[in-house]
Amino acid sequence: MEILSPVWPAPGAGGSAPARPRTLAGATIALVDDNLDIPFTTHLEMLLGREHGAAVRRLVKPSGTAPSPRPLIDEAAAAASAAVVGIGL
Amino acid sequence: MNLISERLDVDDYDEAMELFYQRNWTDGLPIVLPTRRRVEAMIAGAGRDPQESLGPVPPKGGPATVEKLAINAVMGGCLPAHFPVVLAALEALLDPAHNLNGVSQTTHMCVPLVIVNGPIARELGFNSRDGVFGNGYRANAAVGRAVRLALWNLGGAVPWDTDKATLSHPGEYAFCIAEEEEDNPWAPLHVERGCPPGSDAVTVFACEGPHSVFCYGTPEEMLHVLTDSMCGLGNNNMHVMGQMLVVLNPLNAEEFARRGWSKTDVRRYLWEHARRPIEQVRACGVVHEQFRKMERDAGRYPLRYDLDNPTTRIPVSAEPDDIHIVVAGGRSYFAAVLPGWGGFGGFAVTRAIRRA
Repeated sequence: MEILSPVWPAPGAGGSAPARPRTLAGATIALVDDNLDIPFTTHLEMLLGREHGAAVRRLVKPSGTAPSPRPLIDEAAAAASAAVVGIGL
Repeated sequence: MNLISERLDVDDYDEAMELFYQRNWTDGLPIVLPTRRRVEAMIAGAGRDPQESLGPVPPKGGPATVEKLAINAVMGGCLPAHFPVVLAALEALLDPAHNLNGVSQTTHMCVPLVIVNGPIARELGFNSRDGVFGNGYRANAAVGRAVRLALWNLGGAVPWDTDKATLSHPGEYAFCIAEEEEDNPWAPLHVERGCPPGSDAVTVFACEGPHSVFCYGTPEEMLHVLTDSMCGLGNNNMHVMGQMLVVLNPLNAEEFARRGWSKTDVRRYLWEHARRPIEQVRACGVVHEQFRKMERDAGRYPLRYDLDNPTTRIPVSAEPDDIHIVVAGGRSYFAAVLPGWGGFGGFAVTRAIRRA
């Protein structure tokens, strides 16, 4: 008996990603937030700088319930060597 | 017919079912096997190109081609006559206004409800009367499950993976009703939303399961209990507005109409009276407050409510039209309230059903 698959084949591996930074010291980290908890994000920014020597680039996505728009992703990629792309509850 | 899906050779039903379970291609229940003959009949009945895509299904983005949707519709128990309803439901779900990406991944328990309107509902045997949210009707069950299986297999909306629902609700297996249009004094939902009278349409709205409302008596008595049921502090609407569904049974609607209440009158009254003082809303805690602030900062929460004034009374939606009213169920004592996801999405979207 022949039946048909209800799913698409798993996608192959994408293009090669840039190397991850080996240390946070001196790195720029993009911190993408939805402004749900600004004090928390501000505290995280402070810790990344004070404890780890990282510079932080704060970015705000327009909705916490939808993906970041492409320009924001491009901005994070251009400005930072790593990114925190979501803070969830 | 040009079908491109992977073909699997199996000896019998048992082997096929175990294969589907091993590959996580079903929702936990057995399925109807998607043989080529059944899938071709489904597509031919709809008169659509099998490789036509309705768009990527979030969150994982598998294309909703007619072929893949037909396979999932067969699995869910659909007949070819049901398939145009499934297609219309997917078209509605993939409208960006619905934010299916968020609906499928939120920690909230909302699930898209499929509401069928028009002559097709009666022709195909959809239940719109007693037990409308329950079991026992192939059309409701098969269309509802076909939609869920498509979101599962094409969107990858799977619990412990991308589906982060804390509790979810049983509608994740199937969540489909029809509106009662014959025993109904008012214009049906799809006509209110711009479809021609007598046409067929599907409306999707992401919501909690139905909350029972003991609703019987005069219009004033029914409105008293409905408004109280709508503004519970546990629902998202009370904190970040959005949309809500109220299901009145035909006897409720008849009594309203007999006493001169239009559906617009009822909706307006519900919007004006299903409210809570801001002090009670604020007492729910800091997280609720932060969500409200986030929505306000983003321009999705109306400025006209003074959140710092203790006498302010907060409605469940920004506008009366965000309260959807559907007539369904038996002629009895009970109505239902189905809160939405809040201002984040899951909003009602209506699409015409295209018959072959």
